[in-house]
Amino acid sequence: MTSLIQYGPLLLQGFAMTLLVSLAAFGVAIVLGLLGAWAKISGGRIARSIAGTYTVVIRGVPELVLILLIYYGLPSVVQNGVRYLGGEAFARFRLDFDPFTAGALTLGLIYGAFATEVFRGALQSVPRGQIEAGRAYGFHGWRLARQIVLPQMLRFAISGLGNVWLVLVKATALISAIQLTELMRTAELGAANTREPFTFYLAAAAMYLAITIASLLALRAAERWAFRGERAVA
Amino acid sequence: MKRIFTAVVTTLALTAPAFGQDVVRVATEGAYPPFNYVDANGELGGFDVDIAKALCAAADLTCELVAQDWDGIIPGLLAERYDMIVASMTMTEERAQVVDFSDKYAQVPQHFVMSDALGASVDASGDGIDALKTALNGKVIGLVAATAAEPYVRDTFGNSVTYRSYQKMEDALQDLVAGRIDAYADGAIPITESFLSTPDGNGFRLAGAALSDPSYFGLGNGIAFRQADDALREKINAALAQIIADGTYAKINDQYFTFNVYGE
Repeated sequence: MTSLIQYGPLLLQGFAMTLLVSLAAFGVAIVLGLLGAWAKISGGRIARSIAGTYTVVIRGVPELVLILLIYYGLPSVVQNGVRYLGGEAFARFRLDFDPFTAGALTLGLIYGAFATEVFRGALQSVPRGQIEAGRAYGFHGWRLARQIVLPQMLRFAISGLGNVWLVLVKATALISAIQLTELMRTAELGAANTREPFTFYLAAAAMYLAITIASLLALRAAERWAFRGERAVA
Repeated sequence: MKRIFTAVVTTLALTAPAFGQDVVRVATEGAYPPFNYVDANGELGGFDVDIAKALCAAADLTCELVAQDWDGIIPGLLAERYDMIVASMTMTEERAQVVDFSDKYAQVPQHFVMSDALGASVDASGDGIDALKTALNGKVIGLVAATAAEPYVRDTFGNSVTYRSYQKMEDALQDLVAGRIDAYADGAIPITESFLSTPDGNGFRLAGAALSDPSYFGLGNGIAFRQADDALREKINAALAQIIADGTYAKINDQYFTFNVYGE
């Protein structure tokens, strides 16, 4: 217990890092999800097939494999390419991803694929009549999307996005493999250095659970807000 | 084309300030005390960390230490996240296929533990393994099956001693206290941590030479480098010889261990 108090600040730093990297990755995932859904529904043939490949490949490869590929594999490929093309002058060129950027981008890329499917389903749940009515009133392009499609789509997307977020938070534990000192890594360090694994992993579990519970509460509030004016939802 | 390429790469290099090799980055694990650990303030410490700092000072290099999870520690080296690994890594054939190792910088020794009195007679019998052979002649030695020490002790002492076999180290150490055996051989760190540093260990100590025959106990721990990086490896090897010669190594050793962690 005393060791937990000793290592408490380190664990809290890890906790903060987990939250930050989750939020950053979720932001990336939402952007990619919207783009992917747009490509799948109203993109041309090329955009559709890119989005299709993206969701199939990403959802089909384990997160840890992708994280290691992007963090360790990508820089090696780029470095070797640059050194080869650049010759002498670039013989010592080095590409540095910092672990935070790499982690957030990779997780964002992965969960963007799941978000794509969430947004696609939600978009398709918006009744066609709404869009046609909007057109009839003279809405086009961005205004049609912003004022008619997106607000209604969001209602259907919230619970799915909530799921993506919850799974994403837990997946951040995987990026302890790439030098990022997040909650899992700090718990491992505490466990190894005090030889009290149970204490530290239990503390880490409680912290992950705390994020989840807070998220569920926020999610419920968001749903209530999105469906305001509709009949009450469960 | 070439100009565009140059411009792009220069921009990249600006965002990635590690262009060139001014700072040598050293990775360690941080979860293997007392060799390397992260303390409650998040600071790296331990034998490996102090050795790494001493090596950098001796080789006149500017070093930066990073903590890296063990699972990704070799991939990170190959991807040039850092330039060397000082993390008590055992030099195995498999690893030597992808990285180059420095000279041995530590080999956690196997040691005999015995009473102070018997230890004194080992010291009086001279140096090396022969002193142990002389002092332990006719004595009872405890062994635990499947430890690295077991086949070594049997092959080395042959019929000059009597053996008693145990299931685990704790049982053998209890019989050592009870006087049923005269000596027991195992890793110096587990013996120190679970016996010598407890009240039970009063009146007992490690004695005689460290047991580090490579054919039984392996090649020890080395510092890992990328295979192309001979220049850095040679610098560090020179620095290692220097800190061993000038006593820096011994000073660091004594901060963490009661025995010589370099082995023989």
